[in-house]
Amino acid sequence: MNRLVAWVLAVGGFVGLIASSVLTIEKIALLKDPFYVPTCSINPVLSCGSIMKTAQAEVFGFPNPLLGIAGFAVVTTLGVLLVSGVSLPRWVWIGLQVGVTFGVLFVHWLIVQSLYEIGALCPYCMVVWAVMIPIFWYTTLRNIRPTFQYHSVVLILWYLVIVAGVLQAFWFYWSSLV
Amino acid sequence: MSKNARLSLIIVAVVAVVVAGFIFFSQNNNTTAAPKSADGKVTVVEYLDLECPSCRAAYPGVERLKTEYGDRVTFDVRHFPIPSHRNAELAAVAVEAAGAQGKRDDMFRLMFDTQQEWAGQQTSQQAVFLGFAQQLGLDQAAFEQALADPALRERVLAQRAEGSKAGVQGTPTFFINGTKFTGAPTYDALKAAIGKVLS
Repeated sequence: MNRLVAWVLAVGGFVGLIASSVLTIEKIALLKDPFYVPTCSINPVLSCGSIMKTAQAEVFGFPNPLLGIAGFAVVTTLGVLLVSGVSLPRWVWIGLQVGVTFGVLFVHWLIVQSLYEIGALCPYCMVVWAVMIPIFWYTTLRNIRPTFQYHSVVLILWYLVIVAGVLQAFWFYWSSLV
Repeated sequence: MSKNARLSLIIVAVVAVVVAGFIFFSQNNNTTAAPKSADGKVTVVEYLDLECPSCRAAYPGVERLKTEYGDRVTFDVRHFPIPSHRNAELAAVAVEAAGAQGKRDDMFRLMFDTQQEWAGQQTSQQAVFLGFAQQLGLDQAAFEQALADPALRERVLAQRAEGSKAGVQGTPTFFINGTKFTGAPTYDALKAAIGKVLS
């Protein structure tokens, strides 16, 4: 379990960091060009530009991806340390648990907002959803029940619930594809 | 292989089979017959979303074409409310509800003229639309009742379903005598396309 957590944190943190960076860069580009008009497509991905203009995109008064850059940088650093065999003190694990718990709750709130309030998807946001879940799940298992056997089964089911939500919420679009 | 890995693979395989089966069986006889005119006249059908800024941008050009070609060309507006526009469907219903009192075009114009005020909101703009009805001198009670009428909503959604079948992927989408118009729907481009069909 320890090796697994180390790799999940290192790889997941890095992917999350890249996605947060891209989102921040896009946000800056959007600020530079406020007259950018997104096309009105039924494709929930193509209306991406509009997601960044919503109130939910800056819950704490600044763009959300800035939180991601800070958080995922820490996760990546800890992951790399663990991969290279460093053992972290208990209080660091407690701190990480607090951080990833906040992260996973925040991401799920954003998922609900994206699917049911805003009605649009943004690809890099979905990358963040996808890495935040295993980061939280494996950190929690390591801290609470490292012997749990069916860890990836739970992860897959978790993903499936979210995929089902995305399918249901944008059914009108998906059904136009087939 | 561990029990965990085996069970994980089984779930992934089952889901893959279900999805593949679903796609396979839903590849139905999709009729992509575009709406055509019956009377031999040139017909321009526009699928639009009242909350869509690009539809708002195309609107003055279309209005101008209507005045220029009104006698030879039938212009038909169909609703295609995009789900991410939270008030587009209600706006479409409001236009039809005004239509029940003979003011469809007035409500339609009012919606576009004031789009900046009500579009892009995540909360219901019903109160704003009721205000529009008042402004147009409609019977308030009847209008409010029509807004909540499931039959009217069905009609709007039926137009959207029909458009989707005809290949509408975004708004505005124009069909000129049943042929999908491609390119930016500017006044000049639409005029050229209509002129070609007329000649």
